[in-house]
Amino acid sequence: MQLNTSNPIETMTHNQIKKTPPKFKKIAPALAAASCSLLGITEAIAQENNGDWKFDVANLIYAESDSRVAATEPVFNATKTYVDGEILNVKLVFDSLTGASPNGATPSDTAQTFTRPSGNGEYTVDQDENPLDDTFRDSRGALSGNWTAPINRDWEYTLGAYGSKEFDYLSLGLNGGLKRYLNQKNTALNFGLALSADTIEPVGGKPLGLSRMAIPGSGTFDADFDASRADSSDNKSIIDALFGVTQVINANTIMQFNYGLSLSNGYLNDPYKILSVIDTTTGANYGGNYQNAGNNVYLYESRPDSRMKHTLYWQTKYALDNGDVIDGSYRFMIDDWGINSHTLDFRYRWDLGNSYLEPHLRYYMQSKADFYQRYLTSDEFTSGSIKEASSDERLSDMNAYTVGLKYGYKLSNDKEINVRAEYYMQTHSGDTGFGKLTSQDLYPDINAIIFQVGYSF
Amino acid sequence: MLNKYVLYAIGLTMSPYQTCLVEIPKLANPSNHSPPILSLKDQCWVGQFQAMASDCQVLLEGINQQRAEELLKLAAIETWRIEHKFSRYKAGNIMHQINHAYEKKVAVDNETTAILNFVDQCYQLSDGLFDVTAGVLRKIWHFDGSDNIPSDQEINNILPLIGWNKVHWKAPYIQLPNDMELDLGGIGKEYAVDKVCLLLQKRMSQIENCHILVNFGGDLACSGPRLNGEAWEVAVESYQDQKKAILKVKLSQGGIATSGDSRRFLLKEGIRYSHILNPKTGQSITNAPHAVSIAAPNCMQAGILSTMAMLQGSDAEDFLSAQEADFWVQR
Repeated sequence: MQLNTSNPIETMTHNQIKKTPPKFKKIAPALAAASCSLLGITEAIAQENNGDWKFDVANLIYAESDSRVAATEPVFNATKTYVDGEILNVKLVFDSLTGASPNGATPSDTAQTFTRPSGNGEYTVDQDENPLDDTFRDSRGALSGNWTAPINRDWEYTLGAYGSKEFDYLSLGLNGGLKRYLNQKNTALNFGLALSADTIEPVGGKPLGLSRMAIPGSGTFDADFDASRADSSDNKSIIDALFGVTQVINANTIMQFNYGLSLSNGYLNDPYKILSVIDTTTGANYGGNYQNAGNNVYLYESRPDSRMKHTLYWQTKYALDNGDVIDGSYRFMIDDWGINSHTLDFRYRWDLGNSYLEPHLRYYMQSKADFYQRYLTSDEFTSGSIKEASSDERLSDMNAYTVGLKYGYKLSNDKEINVRAEYYMQTHSGDTGFGKLTSQDLYPDINAIIFQVGYSF
Repeated sequence: MLNKYVLYAIGLTMSPYQTCLVEIPKLANPSNHSPPILSLKDQCWVGQFQAMASDCQVLLEGINQQRAEELLKLAAIETWRIEHKFSRYKAGNIMHQINHAYEKKVAVDNETTAILNFVDQCYQLSDGLFDVTAGVLRKIWHFDGSDNIPSDQEINNILPLIGWNKVHWKAPYIQLPNDMELDLGGIGKEYAVDKVCLLLQKRMSQIENCHILVNFGGDLACSGPRLNGEAWEVAVESYQDQKKAILKVKLSQGGIATSGDSRRFLLKEGIRYSHILNPKTGQSITNAPHAVSIAAPNCMQAGILSTMAMLQGSDAEDFLSAQEADFWVQR
């Protein structure tokens, strides 16, 4: 006997119930009682298994070349699936960053001395060197929890909370989502909303946008430093909304489309970033650091206090008959800072039985923010015409490439170890300056290696 | 300052459909079967695995892949548990202990007690035609397709070793005379079908509405109609050609079981000796239908009735009519 749900087959009428003389006694009812009793009794024997916990632990190491930022990020992720389909997820992440990061100033043909963000002390960068702030050191702990549960056959909800803390930053968030299944669960509509309230407490206080960095060693340093600072802390709020459709296209393909809207309000500056002011006066210092009373002028950056981002996302996963999976995605982001970005991501999961290999390629391209400038000119500085400016490299015209390979090995019993190695390259471009500045490398590449070891059980 | 904000993407839990293997922990797979395979056919999840020398199939509708994998895993683990616990061929299990006790009393657990009580009731209800001690007849009947029919002498020698009435069964103790054997092969598969079907239904939440059909080598049980409200269609294979379906049966509740000689028989002088053996005479039923399929409130009941119908030989139809159940006979 076999099951056949689609093919037409010859049919035969089955014997209709005939009334026959009681040659045989009717044992069916007694048999029914006996079998139900057996199945009923044994029902109680089946032990209730209240779902299983599933854990993922991983450690990620990120290292930029030229002794810039290095990060270690252990991640602990636990998921419990309950009998009735509820899912509880708890994730714990630690970040520990060390190294030096660009402070935003341009390299110069003379050595440059900068005040540390705290106001305590200074650091000097050699001539022709990209100014890096070597005090950059941070660690972060983040904890998040999510609860997903079916409401009925067609609806599912998610509720979550998020908190992260580092010494100068606190982020607290709540999120909720609804999922609606249609089409025998071949289609899922997702609605998500997330709110976040962040508090930033910059070391040394919150710099005033486009105020001048106090001059190390100056007699009026304390007064100048205080004048460059406003409050000790500020806030930022973020609202994210997401609408998505997940569609099973056929037995091998699933597709997802998302639209996301993100609204940020409040203090959106990086308090540790500054801009150089470059001299436009014709003469020997044309294209050099603009000086006021014999000292270079550096200004703290200033960004708008709101940002609205729109994101479109499309992802397709395709399973080959041999068990391999192709996963490709494209993301487009546009915001009212003038940035738009394109991300192409491609993975191929090559099934090797007990193990798999997953090559990964990613390309990211971004256009700069309207207020991005690698430096300010002395004209802009003296006229005070500029109200918003940032030289943060992450807001510049940028291309980034990732090439990676992941290897996973199944140790049976739902256990897997995996190793991921990736090479990341980021290039920037933009205004190359004038005069002396043109001989400086204003847009150094960033090269980084990412290495991760993970274990699932 | 890294972007610390994460929006939890809530739509990413579905992975692309593919035929996938469902991992089963080694401990839950004592007989070392291949892992179950899940695939999707016409929006119906089809789970497949091997057990009890049969192709086992679980059809699931109305749930997502994650739940389908979960239920399939559960089905395989339960089936393999039953197989390992009650198979006559596994050393060390309860059947092995009972069959190798050499007239000592063996205490059995609750599940075995329930099964032995059921077996006892079946023996009484069938006037001894359904007898779990009849397995020793295998020692003289070898259904290998040959014409090797045992002699009357051989049969007479073995008959004293058959008879549930010779077994001392008083829960929770069972005591078997020397050289006698229990063999639950006649109900094990049907029991597993019902157990798995009930287990999956029980495992679903109140709000889920999963539609289940369990089919172990032609013995079936379902949770109710399909997702679209229609009955499951089940094809009964021909006794002559297992590839060929001769009958389409609709099933929207309960179970169906089939007994037949399509796979195991002896042929001598044109007579087909079916593997259904009469425990009272030790003889093969020669004039039984080729196959009997019967629908009943559960698979176990259908299985017992179909076996008993075969044992009635030429009276199979009359027996089945008296049970007032839907049945299909191939002669």
